[in-house]
Amino acid sequence: MPGETEAVSLSGTPTTAELAAVSNEEETRILSDAIRSLPPQAVKDLLNSEVCIGCILRLFGFREHFHFRSSISSSMLHSVLGESEHLEHYGILAGSKSGEELEVQQIVCRMCLGILQYLYRNDKGILVQKLSADGLAAYVDEMIKQDGHEIDGFSLELSVPPVLSEHDNAVWSYMKKKYGQEVGIAEETSKCVSVKDALKLAITYPLENMLDVKSSSIPSSFRIRLTYSQTKPSSSMAKSPGETNESCKRRKTADMNGVPVRSSNFSGDQKSSEPCNFPLEKVNEPYYLALVCCRTPIYIGGRYLKFSRNVSQTRWIIDDERKGESSVEEIIGSNILPACQGDSYKFHAAGREDIDVRMLGSGRPFMVEVQNARRVPSEAIIKETETKINSLEEKLVAVKNLKLEVNNGWGLMHEGESEKQKQYCSLVWISRTLEDEDVQNITASKDMKVLQRTPIRVLHRRSPLEREKIIHWMKVERVAGSSQYFLLHLCTQAGTYIKEFVHGDFGRTNPSIGSILGCRAEILQLDVTDVKMDGF
Amino acid sequence: MADHTVQESNDPEKQGKPEFLLPVEDEEELRKLLVPDPENLPATPPSAVETNFVSYFAPDFTKPGHDQYVYRHANGLCVVGLAPGHLAFKDEGGITAVDFNVGKSDRSGMKVTGKRKKNAQHFESNTAICKVSTKGDSYIVRCCVKGSLLEVNDRLIKQPGLLNSSADREGYVAIMMPRPADWLKVKASLMSGEEYAKLREVRVLN
Repeated sequence: MPGETEAVSLSGTPTTAELAAVSNEEETRILSDAIRSLPPQAVKDLLNSEVCIGCILRLFGFREHFHFRSSISSSMLHSVLGESEHLEHYGILAGSKSGEELEVQQIVCRMCLGILQYLYRNDKGILVQKLSADGLAAYVDEMIKQDGHEIDGFSLELSVPPVLSEHDNAVWSYMKKKYGQEVGIAEETSKCVSVKDALKLAITYPLENMLDVKSSSIPSSFRIRLTYSQTKPSSSMAKSPGETNESCKRRKTADMNGVPVRSSNFSGDQKSSEPCNFPLEKVNEPYYLALVCCRTPIYIGGRYLKFSRNVSQTRWIIDDERKGESSVEEIIGSNILPACQGDSYKFHAAGREDIDVRMLGSGRPFMVEVQNARRVPSEAIIKETETKINSLEEKLVAVKNLKLEVNNGWGLMHEGESEKQKQYCSLVWISRTLEDEDVQNITASKDMKVLQRTPIRVLHRRSPLEREKIIHWMKVERVAGSSQYFLLHLCTQAGTYIKEFVHGDFGRTNPSIGSILGCRAEILQLDVTDVKMDGF
Repeated sequence: MADHTVQESNDPEKQGKPEFLLPVEDEEELRKLLVPDPENLPATPPSAVETNFVSYFAPDFTKPGHDQYVYRHANGLCVVGLAPGHLAFKDEGGITAVDFNVGKSDRSGMKVTGKRKKNAQHFESNTAICKVSTKGDSYIVRCCVKGSLLEVNDRLIKQPGLLNSSADREGYVAIMMPRPADWLKVKASLMSGEEYAKLREVRVLN
């Protein structure tokens, strides 16, 4: 293995320090030694069939060399190969230093279609040539900084069209057949490093340096995704002798993720077992590169209180007209979004209350899911946001215990939603005077079972069912100055319709306050005073 | 908002009752929000039906004296029943029996399921829902509104007296779901509570 006698041994995965310690000259020397260790005829064969140096190295299993920034110059190649023809071709394939953005027709490597040459078409279709992995990393770095992301890590995701592995197989079997006697290619199985792996090796360290953070193999919350694809259909395989154009050509259209989509022109079987042949087909244009850098959603949770009887929980717009003055979702979300500098948000709450019902007491647990936050807000910023919401001029909504949630909070909110007990306070009127006996009657009942048919007010959109619910306890509080009004405090099972429990809903909720007291009962106001749940 | 410990209120009913605890924080603030100002309370507040439904009446529906009401909710559902001026109420002893077995099927036997209200039967406005009987006579109650029959008040079978005591609430007969276009058509032939009250010289209590 070349390089073993050097001061720096590049076996395994070198550390950043080890790499930094390798000087440019050493890099070049190690690279040349690598090329030299291969059968020269094989190398020429590959170069002649327009395979780039990067692909040559990875074909024979060289991994560490992808960390290098240096490349093989044409003069170096000259000394290695001992010939002078077609040097300009070799130079380009090796990675010349003749300028960053080149618009002349490049020779695109037939194996990797430009990926390891740092050659690609951008989203405008313009050809871009980066000198090295650094150039590509710089492009990523620029996009991240332009977007204003503050990150403390990243995970790198690469997507390349599957046809590349077929290229690898084709070239490898050709090499084995022709040069099988020579050292290094005697094994049955291919030592070939995939394009994805090679590219990942090449750009991970430059990215870490430029972004000043570490990458992680476990999916981090910040994703850098490079997708190489061919948006136009193309024939990716050479014809084998004796077969017609039609039967051999496979039209492959790739969607933006590089997943091949069979077009209707496809003739032949569905398996990708049609062999490529060496030399591979000429490539005129490199792949398109789509770069996406974004953060996975973050969650900010807490409890909210609603003081208004004219504010819905979520945006409520019918026929272009908004119902109510505002919504809890918008009041909270529109303040959290700028604190995270995200693209958009989704509001989730543990249950809901009607627009005309206030949410008081301990408040209702909620979570705001923020898409593509540019920064994860600090405790201080979150505290600031909480204060801001609570200091709004119109005291419609307030929040408590606002904090960044780890994903566990999510499950907690949904789990136990049907087990949660809720506490309410309602203002009730009855058609006769409230007697002491009535008060005792109501207060005495514990865990009263109530059968509720789906209330008429929601029957248009819910299944007609009869649901049994439990009223855990009730307490009557007389209203000073009135004989027919009183405050009814009650604690019920989640999902109980309180309004219907008071007025009976045409007798479809049984028992009801009216039926218990033997008179007509109406509910004027309802407030939620507690939603029991730990953790929020 | 400052935290307070739980304070025992002065209300004698509340003392010594451990289950009844308003949430610990801000109890004073909470109480202030909950207790209403008696000055603002009307002697008789509007009923739930008055608030959430619009009342329509169909006097002499298909037959003289067969007065029915249609209470329409904002969501389009219609509760139908006997209006105060119905002949049946004039019979001595009032209504004594209710039978849903009319027309081709027993209306109390149908099972409507799901959000889309599968199996709901589509009826015309003059389709019979049930027959109410008094000591000497019987009367057919009809849909009044063309649409799907979502529910009948099967409680009336065992408690026909509900019609006598509260025909406008617990004594409702059925719930219909008309299509918007069908509703507009029938609406034109119905009258308001005010007009009906004048016509029959009764009070329309909602």
